[in-house]
Amino acid sequence: MNQSRYIWVLGVIAVALVIAVPMVIFWPRVAQTSDNPWTGVPKHPAHTDHKDIIKGPFTTGQEVTQACLECHEEADDQIMHTVHWTWQSDPVAIPGHDNVVEGIGKMNLINNFCIAATSNERTCMTCHAGYGWEETPYDFENNLNVDCLACHADTALYAKGEYGNPAEGVDLTAAAQSVRNPGCDNCGKCHFDGGGGNNVKHGDLDESLLFPSDSLDVHMGGHGFVCTDCHRTEDHAISGRMLSVSVDNENQIACTDCHQPDLHEDERINAHVATVACQSCHIPAIATKNPTKVTWDWSTAGQDRPEDHYTYLKIKGDFLYEKDVQPEYLWYDGAVAYRYLMGDPVNLEGPTLLNPPGGDIKNPDARIWPFKIHRAKQPYDTVYNYLLPPTTSGAGGFWTTFDWPSALKMGAEANGLEFSGEYGFTETWMYWPTTHMVQPKENALQCESCHGDNGVMDWQALGYPGDPIKWGGRNAAK
Amino acid sequence: MSSLMRRQPTFGCFLLLFVLLGAASLLLGSDQAAAQSTPPTAGPLSPLHPTFTMLDAEGRNVLDSGAPVSTMRTCGSCHDAAFIADHSFHADLGLRSMTAPGQTASGRPWDTSDGMFGKWDPLTYRYLTPAGDERLDLSTAEWLMLLGGRIAGGGPTVTSRTGDPLTSLPLDPASPETSIRTADGEIAAWDWQQSGVMEMDCFLCHLDQPDHAARTAALASGEFGWANTATLAATGIVTHTAAGWQWNAAAFGDDGALLPAYVRVQDPTNANCAQCHGLVHTDIATPLTIAGCDTANPQTATTGQVISGQKIAQSGVNVAGKASLNRAWDIHAERQLSCTDCHYALNNPAHVQESDATRPSHLVYDPRRLDIGEYLERPDHNFARGQSAQYTIAPELKGTMRRCESCHNTDSHSAWLPYVDRHMQVLSCESCHTPQMYAPAIESVDWTVLDADGGSVVNCRGADGPDAGVDTLIEPWTPTLMMRGDIDGGQQLAPYNLISAWYWVYDDANGATRPVPLADLQAAWFEGDAYAPELLALFDADGDGELSSTELRLDSDAKTAAVAAQLAAQGLNNPRVEGEVQPYSINHGVARGEFATRDCQTCHHDNAALHQPMQLASFLPGGVVPAFVNDANIVTSGDIQVGDDGTLHFQPAPEQAGVYIFGRNRVEWVDWLGLGVFLAVLASVTLHAVLRFIAALRRPRHTPELKRVYMYDAYERFWHWLQTVAIILLLFTGLVIHRPDMLGMFNFRYIVWVHNMLALIVLINAAMSLFYHLTSGAIQQFIPRPYGFFDQAILQTKFYLYGIFKGESHPLEKTRRQKLNPLQQVTYFGLLNVLLPLQIITGGLMWGVQQWPVAAGLLGGLPVLAPVHTLVAWLFAAFIVAHVYLTTTGPTVLTDIKAMVTGWEDVEVHAHAEHA
Repeated sequence: MNQSRYIWVLGVIAVALVIAVPMVIFWPRVAQTSDNPWTGVPKHPAHTDHKDIIKGPFTTGQEVTQACLECHEEADDQIMHTVHWTWQSDPVAIPGHDNVVEGIGKMNLINNFCIAATSNERTCMTCHAGYGWEETPYDFENNLNVDCLACHADTALYAKGEYGNPAEGVDLTAAAQSVRNPGCDNCGKCHFDGGGGNNVKHGDLDESLLFPSDSLDVHMGGHGFVCTDCHRTEDHAISGRMLSVSVDNENQIACTDCHQPDLHEDERINAHVATVACQSCHIPAIATKNPTKVTWDWSTAGQDRPEDHYTYLKIKGDFLYEKDVQPEYLWYDGAVAYRYLMGDPVNLEGPTLLNPPGGDIKNPDARIWPFKIHRAKQPYDTVYNYLLPPTTSGAGGFWTTFDWPSALKMGAEANGLEFSGEYGFTETWMYWPTTHMVQPKENALQCESCHGDNGVMDWQALGYPGDPIKWGGRNAAK
Repeated sequence: MSSLMRRQPTFGCFLLLFVLLGAASLLLGSDQAAAQSTPPTAGPLSPLHPTFTMLDAEGRNVLDSGAPVSTMRTCGSCHDAAFIADHSFHADLGLRSMTAPGQTASGRPWDTSDGMFGKWDPLTYRYLTPAGDERLDLSTAEWLMLLGGRIAGGGPTVTSRTGDPLTSLPLDPASPETSIRTADGEIAAWDWQQSGVMEMDCFLCHLDQPDHAARTAALASGEFGWANTATLAATGIVTHTAAGWQWNAAAFGDDGALLPAYVRVQDPTNANCAQCHGLVHTDIATPLTIAGCDTANPQTATTGQVISGQKIAQSGVNVAGKASLNRAWDIHAERQLSCTDCHYALNNPAHVQESDATRPSHLVYDPRRLDIGEYLERPDHNFARGQSAQYTIAPELKGTMRRCESCHNTDSHSAWLPYVDRHMQVLSCESCHTPQMYAPAIESVDWTVLDADGGSVVNCRGADGPDAGVDTLIEPWTPTLMMRGDIDGGQQLAPYNLISAWYWVYDDANGATRPVPLADLQAAWFEGDAYAPELLALFDADGDGELSSTELRLDSDAKTAAVAAQLAAQGLNNPRVEGEVQPYSINHGVARGEFATRDCQTCHHDNAALHQPMQLASFLPGGVVPAFVNDANIVTSGDIQVGDDGTLHFQPAPEQAGVYIFGRNRVEWVDWLGLGVFLAVLASVTLHAVLRFIAALRRPRHTPELKRVYMYDAYERFWHWLQTVAIILLLFTGLVIHRPDMLGMFNFRYIVWVHNMLALIVLINAAMSLFYHLTSGAIQQFIPRPYGFFDQAILQTKFYLYGIFKGESHPLEKTRRQKLNPLQQVTYFGLLNVLLPLQIITGGLMWGVQQWPVAAGLLGGLPVLAPVHTLVAWLFAAFIVAHVYLTTTGPTVLTDIKAMVTGWEDVEVHAHAEHA
């Protein structure tokens, strides 16, 4: 009798199971993506206030670095392994070149703006994460030259000046006491103002991101992101790279680091993801707040014409700023198709493409990306047929003498090039993939934007026979 | 001129506006001539279309003759223009089907065709006068002048009602085909030879920049022969000068053919169609604006449909709550479909598909089709069309268009929508995919009164009126769902806008009913430029000498009589008010996914949106309750009702068309009967319990001799309790489905699913226990044995009625082999043989209504199955009450329940058992 006293418990369980188990097994499940993009966003630990830890006084940046290293013993070594310090990559194979190159980067590449850093150390090194890069080669082994303050000090209290040294008049003690996690102002000092002014280079990175509105950038404005939320950092190595100086598809940041690629409710839009980069639709325009430089003609520099900040300067020549720039859409697989290296021949038939993106319609890894293409005219040696980096700032530079031959001679020597004495100007294009200032779905491109009568895509240039809405996508014919 | 203008109805005002615009453009013509001598954009649009010579009606090059271009000659030099004009309801407009008045499907005594030429439209009011009528309203010529902006040419603009060329008709002012009412009201002859006729205007639909305004102006001024030439006004091929239309020699080459840059021929775009049909907005960069329910865009004004891929949130329209409307006005426009993708030429080889009806069943696809050249020579200009309620022309072509499900796979709903097939049977796709309209549409048109401009009083849904500005606040409005009768005999609920109209009719000299001609109506209402004093005094409530829209209401017998008297004074016999309601199908403005209706309770609820009345008018002009027009494609599925406040509504009632909607439809008496039985049982057992309690208090405690018997084995207890729990949950979930309005906190969709799952468990459990009872022989317990049955039943009844109160023992012994007394036997016999199977069959067929609709249909479909299921559920509930109560009649109150838990029961020892 006793053993059966609680037998009803078994009965209750049995009845409950018989009813509940089929319910649970067959419960109608609506397919739900497990996409919670916030899981991809790092948590930043509160930073220790250094006001009472740092005593000072300091008279040089190196003294500050010394003080930092007393506690952060590995920080110098970590920094010295990053491109913020080395300004060049590990040895790398570059499309269009036979041999593996020793290492490329800001130190030795030609760009489409102020052309080259080497021989222009006084100004360019303002953005090097170290002190005292007065001439190239630079002593990369001196750990005391690591500039901790550039990224960690309050930008209201610290600024860099010539050759990367602290600007004159900076109170280094106050600056050192202000250190904290890097903010967008630290990153922006160089990345917003590259090329000599706000938003000159990128088009999608400018000072408006310091106080971004919802409509400017959905992440930074809408959700209060800072740069390091996406550019996740470990041991001072900051993730992410840019086609302007990096040639391979490594260490990239992708929307899909946080978002599911097929998160669109609409199957038709999800079908685009294999072909179209998120950025193409979600960044419908470049330079929506501040204008960006789209052309730069060095050949007219040095003339005594009326100057205007937005069209002509004697030291720089003619240039054009534009706002709300419609991107140009190109296949891009994350790497370059070619990278112009110092001494490479220029294209005499047309523009020389410094860093054309890799990928085409046949490359399944390539997707259609939005680009800002910056078009410039810069000096080249008409005898040797290569681009010539001029010395611009500093003594004897073009900005002082307005004399091309001497400035080109100085620049060529510093960069190890022969200069024949004969020079001309040739058109060069530089490609800037657009990836910031992301817009939510409400403002994204719509079907009509690409597939309408005056769509933004040049289908035939992209390799399609016509609008894929009628002619079929690149996978349709398979 | 000013008095004429004032006397014109609204549409007339537009017309005159066009004339003025046209005149203004003529004055500016000389300046524009220079500007237009170059083509607007360079290069031919079509890489294939060759250049051609522009020919006049005589076949001469227009450069030489200076005559108007003939499309039949020009385009006809390659294309079979006669074939095209002959195969186009856009050209025909009802001419071919013209009959004597009153013979058409509409049932209006004055309609003569099912197309624009002969079918009266209360929105434009003027009607095409049939031959032999007493009074002339619209002659053919004035019809074309008035409505030219919507007429493609050919058909009645070339050919008379008897099939002869208009130009061949004798000049007879008595015939409505060759007459015109002049500005002073006189009837004069109309000379078609002089005015020219309008051939089918190829340019209107096939050029990228047809000048619709110039063409309309040419028609309005009676220059019919030049209308097609005027369509070219923006191309640079022709310019208008003081001397008339001049061909621009610079647009032609030395060979007399057009220069390639001027050949701007293309397939029709949405913009081409929009000229006559409705609001189309193709440029997403420019915000769309809407000003009131403007009849210049008939399709939009009558339905609220806007064809644009622009997102509503980004448009310039001041829609309430637009910030959340991140959806396009029309998903198909957003996805770059054009009108012609669905409304294609019926012999277009890219689209043509043989219907299932004529295609041999062994063929899936018939590859034989026109080759491109054959098609281009003779493209059928009858276009595929849907099931529209309002466009009744060419009914034989209704349903030729592909339907939603021809392109879309409805299986995609199955991820979230239960009973997909059933929903698809009953609902058109539009029912859920055009849940709201965001542009204003006309609600009512009142021609019983005239506003100061001589036009009708128009009320709009969603906005203040037809003349509201672009900044007017638009309230989204919900179309009403009515049962659509498809051309193939199928029926589905579909969304409609309903437009009510009131107007005066009279009996003419022939005894025929006709709408009062506008000229007579205006003569009745006005004296000179002012309202007739008798009417002004009657209508002008605030005495300010003007009649506002709130005063222009024919809302009393006195007013009706006064206007009728004024009309009678115009010689109109028996003037009276009539009204009608025209349903307008809504098929465009489609939303996808998240903006479509997804909430079950939109329909499955007492107060569901589906059942909300749609207002037809705020009062009844002339006290006349209008009726639906005869030729709309609707099946009775609701009633036109006058509310207590005098407003007129359409009250949807889909059940009138045989639709039974769970959570909304129920048979009241079934619920009352079921509830009555349930309450009666509850009251009976309560009374019984109270009496037992009182009786027990009055007599000493009776302690019968008990013995412990293992009454129920484990399986019996298990299936009993499983059935108990499942049935109680079924009753509860069933109640939620039956009355979601009372139990709204539950998710309808999941409750339905749980109910079905529980039913399956009950079914399986019942089947297994039946198997058990059959194989173990226990089934015999449930079978009443005839021998002594009634004696025992009477004994048991007497026990419950008397003995139990006196403390008597149970009359019949309960043993393991004989658990049931005769009353139980008969109860279970009914329960298990009648109620349970009935519930399983009705429930199964309701669940299976989409799997086996025929089987459900044989038993009367949901309208029969559902009430039966409900009634049986009530009986089950009543049974449970009685059953539970009777378990308390054992030696102690809980004895029997404990027995069903533990299996061991204390049963009374009966004397005869001891003897046995």
